[in-house]
Amino acid sequence: MMSSFKRKTLSGRANLPQGTRLSPVSTSTVITSTGIPSLDDILGGGLPLSCSLAVLAPDHHSAYGELVQKYFVAQGLASGQKVCIIHDEPLRFAREGIWMAGNTPSTPAQASTAEDADDEKASQHDDKIKIAWRYEQMKKFQTTVSSNSLNDDLCMSFDLTCRIPATALDAARQSAQLIPIDVDIFEDGTGVIEQIEELLSNGTDAHAVRICIPALGSPHWGDMQPPTVLTLLHSLRRLLHRHPNACASLSLAPHMCTDTWGGPGWVQKVGWLTDAAISMSAFGANPSLSSLFPSHHGIVQILTLPAPHTILPASDKYSTLRGLSSAAGSMGGSGENNLAFKCMRKRLIFETIHLDLEGGVTERRTTPSSNAMALDGNMVHETMPAAVLATEGRKGSLATVEVEFERSKEVVSDTPTGRAIPDAGGSLVPAKPKKPKKKVAFRSERPDLYDF
Amino acid sequence: MQFPAPDLFSSHRLLLITDQLPAPADFLLHRFLHLHLRQSKTAKCFVLAVSESLERWKSVASKANANVTHSESFQFIDVFDQHLPAQNRGEEPLNVISLKYIYDLLSAKLSDSQTHGQIPLVILDDITSLEWLGVSLLDLSRFARALRALCVKMDAMLVVRHHIVTPPEPDALLQHLLQLCTYHIEVRPLASGRSGAVSGEICVHLGPSTKDANEHVISRTSALQYRLTESSAVFFDKGTSTGVL
Repeated sequence: MMSSFKRKTLSGRANLPQGTRLSPVSTSTVITSTGIPSLDDILGGGLPLSCSLAVLAPDHHSAYGELVQKYFVAQGLASGQKVCIIHDEPLRFAREGIWMAGNTPSTPAQASTAEDADDEKASQHDDKIKIAWRYEQMKKFQTTVSSNSLNDDLCMSFDLTCRIPATALDAARQSAQLIPIDVDIFEDGTGVIEQIEELLSNGTDAHAVRICIPALGSPHWGDMQPPTVLTLLHSLRRLLHRHPNACASLSLAPHMCTDTWGGPGWVQKVGWLTDAAISMSAFGANPSLSSLFPSHHGIVQILTLPAPHTILPASDKYSTLRGLSSAAGSMGGSGENNLAFKCMRKRLIFETIHLDLEGGVTERRTTPSSNAMALDGNMVHETMPAAVLATEGRKGSLATVEVEFERSKEVVSDTPTGRAIPDAGGSLVPAKPKKPKKKVAFRSERPDLYDF
Repeated sequence: MQFPAPDLFSSHRLLLITDQLPAPADFLLHRFLHLHLRQSKTAKCFVLAVSESLERWKSVASKANANVTHSESFQFIDVFDQHLPAQNRGEEPLNVISLKYIYDLLSAKLSDSQTHGQIPLVILDDITSLEWLGVSLLDLSRFARALRALCVKMDAMLVVRHHIVTPPEPDALLQHLLQLCTYHIEVRPLASGRSGAVSGEICVHLGPSTKDANEHVISRTSALQYRLTESSAVFFDKGTSTGVL
C-alpha cells in the first residue's frame, strides 16, 4: 500500500519574491497585499503581480484615492519590495506616508481588537437587547475582514496616525528600494511609460516592484485629455504583462473620476483598460446618504476584478466581503453584498453595508418621529414621508414643517457619482474626515444625547 | 446546454460579440478557441490581441485542456507589437499602430495556412480599445470591413469583440459593426447585479445580411444564462440553474 504521507515542500514559496504569496485560485498567480486587509479580500486575496489597480475617488474634498496609495506604498516598503512613486513631488508624498504603530509591526489581530474596543463602546448598550438564549454564544455580525489568516505575515497593520520614520525612508532611498519619478519634467505624462519601462527592464526578477501613481491627472501632469489617460493606462497594463514581477496601483485625480469629465462611458473605459478597478464614492456631497449610513463614509463600486490567469476572478470564490463564495457553485444564488468604506482615526476599512432598520427595534412607529436629530440644516430623516426639519424636540413637540429638502431615499447600489454636488452646503469634509457618531437602531427618549 | 451550437462555426461569417464591464465576454472567446482547436488536429486560430496577454490565453487554455503551445494551431498577434520596419524611434512607438500592416500580416498568415476543409478562426479582441486609444472611427470601420472581406476570401471565420460602455445607445462603431455581422452575440449582465449562481446572460441576434430564418437566434426574453468557472462557463436556461432546480 502506498504511503499517503506527503512531505510538505515549501520550495514553491522560496522562489517567490518577498512579500508575495501564491493565489489560492491558481498557482500561476502571485499576489501581494495592498496594505488594507479588507481591500485585499475584495480583490480575492491581494493584488496579483502583473496587474494594474485603479482607484477612483470622485469626491473633490477628500483624498481617499491617495489614502489607498499611501497604504500601497507603506506595504511595499515594509515588505522589502521596490516601490516607485510617480508624482509631482514623490519624496514629499513618501515623507507623508503612513507606517506601523510602534517600532515593531504589531500583529493584525492585536491592532484590530484594540481599535474595535475604542470604536465599539457606543454599542455596548446593544447588549441590553434581549437575545434569544441560543444565539448568545454567537459572535457579533461581522461586516469586515480585519485580518486574513493567510495574509497575516504579508499584510502589515498600518496606523494612519503614524508617519513613516525618516530613518526608514532614508534607508529605502539609499538602497534604491524607493524610486521617485518626478512627473513635472514631462509634458502631459508623455515619457512616464518610458521611464517605467526602463526601471522595469533594469531590475531583476527577484524583487517584486510596485508602481504607484497617487494622483494621475493632477495639475502637474499638464492638461491631460481622456485619450491620453486611456493610452497611459493601456500602455501601463501592457508593460506589466511584459514584466510580471511588477504591479501598479494608481488613483485618478478626483475631477477625472466621473463621466462628466471623460464623456459617456468614461468610468467603464477605465475599468476595461485596467486589470482591477474600484470607485469610492464618498457621501460628502450627498447628505441624505450620509444620514442613511452614518457610520460609513462612502460606497464602493467594483468595476473590474483581477483574473490574470483564469476566467473566474479569484474574488468571486474567495472574497468574504462580497459574499459570493457562499453562493458560488451549485447552491445559492444570492447577490453580492453592497460594500462601503469608512476612514476611522487609525485605519481605512472596507465593509459590507446594509440598510438601516426602519423605525428602530423597540418601537413600531406609525407617526413620524419627533426625535429626529438636527444634524445639519440639510439633513433629512429618512423615515419621514414628508420632509420635516425637527429641531431638538422632546417627545410630542414637532417643529414647524417646512419642506426644504425633498429627496427620495437613494437605492443602496446606486453610486452618487453622477449626481454629486461639489459644494453642497456645509458638508465639506477635510482629507481625514471626523468620524460621525455611530447611529444605533433604536430611538431614545432623550435625543440630545445623540445630537451633533 | 451547449453554447455555441457547433454549426455556428462556419466560414464566411462574422460573429460580433458585444459585452459590458459587469459581464465581460472573454470567456466566450476562449471557449470558441478551445472548441475550434478540439475539432481537429489541423485547426488553426489567429488571435489579434489588443488587451489580453498571451499568458492569459495560454493559462486559460491549459486549464481547459486545449493545446495552444503548438504554433501551427495557435498564432498570437499582438497588435501593438507590430512595428513597420521603417519606423524610427522618435515617434511614440507604443501607440502608433498601422492597421494596414496588421491586415497585410494576417493576410499573409492566412494564405500560408490554407488547409483543406479546415476553417481558420480569426479572433479580434477587441476593436473598441483601438477606438479609445485614438484610432479614428473611419479607419476602424474600414479595417473591420477589410477583415471581413479577407476572411470571406480565405474561407475563415471572424470573431470580433466590442465593448459597450453606454448601454442603451449604440455607439457609432457598433452601428458599423452591426451592419457587417452575420450574428450579433450579446453578453449582458443581469439587471439585478452580480450573483454567485448566474454571471450574466447571452442573446444572439441576426445580422442584417443573414438569410437564415431563425437558426441560432436567442431572444432577450429567453436569454441563455451562464455562470463562469475557472476556465470556461456553464450554460443553462433561465430558471434552471442548479440552485433553483
